Amino acid sequence: MRNFILFIRRFFNLILFLGVEIVCIVLIAHTNTMQGTDIVSSANTVAGILYKKQNDVVYYFGLRKMNDSLINENARLRKQIAGLKSVDTLKDTIVKKVIPSADTNRHIVHYADYLYRTAYVINNSVSAANNYITINRGSNDGITKDMAVLSGTGLVGLVVHVSPHFASVISILSIKQQVSAKLKDGTSSFVNWEGSKPDVMIMKDIPMQIKVKPGDSIFTTGYSLHIPGDILIGTVFKLEYVKKNNMQILSLHPSTNFRNLQYVYVAGNKMAEERKQLEDSVKSKP
Amino acid sequence: MSVYLKNFFRFCFIMLIQILILNKITLRWWSQPSGFPIFIPYVYPLFILLLTFETPVWLLIILGFITGITVDTFMNTAGIHACATVFIAYLRTNVLNALLPKNLSEYPNQSPSIKNMGWMPFLVYSGFLILLHHIVFFTIELWNISNIGYLLLKIAASAVTSMLFIIAYLLLFTRQSVGKS
Repeated sequence: MRNFILFIRRFFNLILFLGVEIVCIVLIAHTNTMQGTDIVSSANTVAGILYKKQNDVVYYFGLRKMNDSLINENARLRKQIAGLKSVDTLKDTIVKKVIPSADTNRHIVHYADYLYRTAYVINNSVSAANNYITINRGSNDGITKDMAVLSGTGLVGLVVHVSPHFASVISILSIKQQVSAKLKDGTSSFVNWEGSKPDVMIMKDIPMQIKVKPGDSIFTTGYSLHIPGDILIGTVFKLEYVKKNNMQILSLHPSTNFRNLQYVYVAGNKMAEERKQLEDSVKSKP
Repeated sequence: MSVYLKNFFRFCFIMLIQILILNKITLRWWSQPSGFPIFIPYVYPLFILLLTFETPVWLLIILGFITGITVDTFMNTAGIHACATVFIAYLRTNVLNALLPKNLSEYPNQSPSIKNMGWMPFLVYSGFLILLHHIVFFTIELWNISNIGYLLLKIAASAVTSMLFIIAYLLLFTRQSVGKS
C-alpha cells in the first residue's frame, strides 16, 4: 500500500496528464457520432450570446451584399411563380384552367411538406475539417435536430445541436458527412468534401455512359428524411475518368458561398415523423 | 496587481482576440471563392506559455484543459483543442528546463518573456510548443493519413502565421523597455 501511494506521488503529473487526455478523447469520440453532448458546442448560451453581440457590430458591413443576394433570390422566386401560373396580360388576371374530372389520373396533389423558417447566421467558419455555423434560432422557435438548412442559392447543412435560443449547424463542408445527390437526369450518388478547399466538392461513382458536361447542376435527392429534394448543391467544373472501375469523378463548386453566409432558411419536414415510423416498421419486420 | 487577477484578465483578453478576430481571418481573407491552403492562427496557447515559471505541472495541466475546452466550446471541436493544449502544458516545464541556464525556482514571480529570456530562447520555446500544439491538433482534426501532404502544409502554414501573431501580441501588449520587472 505504501509503495502504491509512493508510486502515485511520484508519477502524479503523468497520471493526471493521461487522465485529462482520456477525458478529451472521450469528448472527441462522443462528437464524432454526431450526437455529441450539447455542452461543448457553440449552441450553448454563453457562446451564443457572445457571437450575437459580435454580429450586432459586424452586421452593418455586409448589408449591401445581403441586399443584392436577397434581390437576386426574389427575382428567381418570381420567375418560378411566373412559370407556375399563366397570366393573361391583356386582362391582367390569372387564367383558370379547368381540369376535366375524367382527367384525375394526371392530376397530382402536392402537399406542402416543408416548413421554412428564416434564421440569421451569427458565427461561421470554412477553415476547419468540420465546419459549423451558429444561427440565432433555437428550440423556442421550433428548430429541432437534423433539420436541413438552406441558403438562397443552395444547400448549407444540417442542424446538430439545439439550445433554447441558438442552434449549431454542421455545413456540407465537413469530412464527417456526405449528401445524397443527383444529376439532372436522376443518376444519384453522394457528394462529399475532401477537407481542403471550401469551393471544391467531390462526387464519385458516376458511370462512364452518363454524359456530364462542365456547368451541369447537381441537386439533392429527396431520399433523405430531412433534406428537401431538388435543391441545388453545386455546378460541375471538372471531370476525371477512373480507368480502374470505369467510373467518373466530378468536381463541383458548391452553389452556396460559405464565406459570406448571412441569412439562411431552416426547412423542417412535417412528414418526417410519419415517414420514419413507416420506414422503421418495415425494417423491424423479419 | 496580483498574479491571479493579471492572469485571469490575460485569459479573457487572449480568448476574445482568438474567438472574435483570428477565427474570422480565413473567412474574410479571400472573399472570392478560390483556393489557397487554409490556415488558422491560434494564439490562445500563449496563455499557457506566459504563466509564471514556478507554476506546478498539475496546475498547468488543469489550466490547459480549461483553456482548450473554452476554445472548443466556441469552435464546436469538442475536445481537440483541449487535447492539444493539455499536451503542451505537460511538456512546458521540461522545455523550459532544457532552455534556461538556471533552475526554474531561481526565477521567483517571473514569467517567460522576451525580456526575461532573450529573443532567441523565447522564440525557440514558443515556436517548439506551438508547433507541437498544431501537429497534435490538426492530426486529430483531419485524422486522415492519406492526405499527408495537405496535413503538413496546413500545420506549417498555421504554425508560421500563429508565430507571427504571437510576436505581434508580445510586441503590442507586453512591457518591452527595461523598467520594473
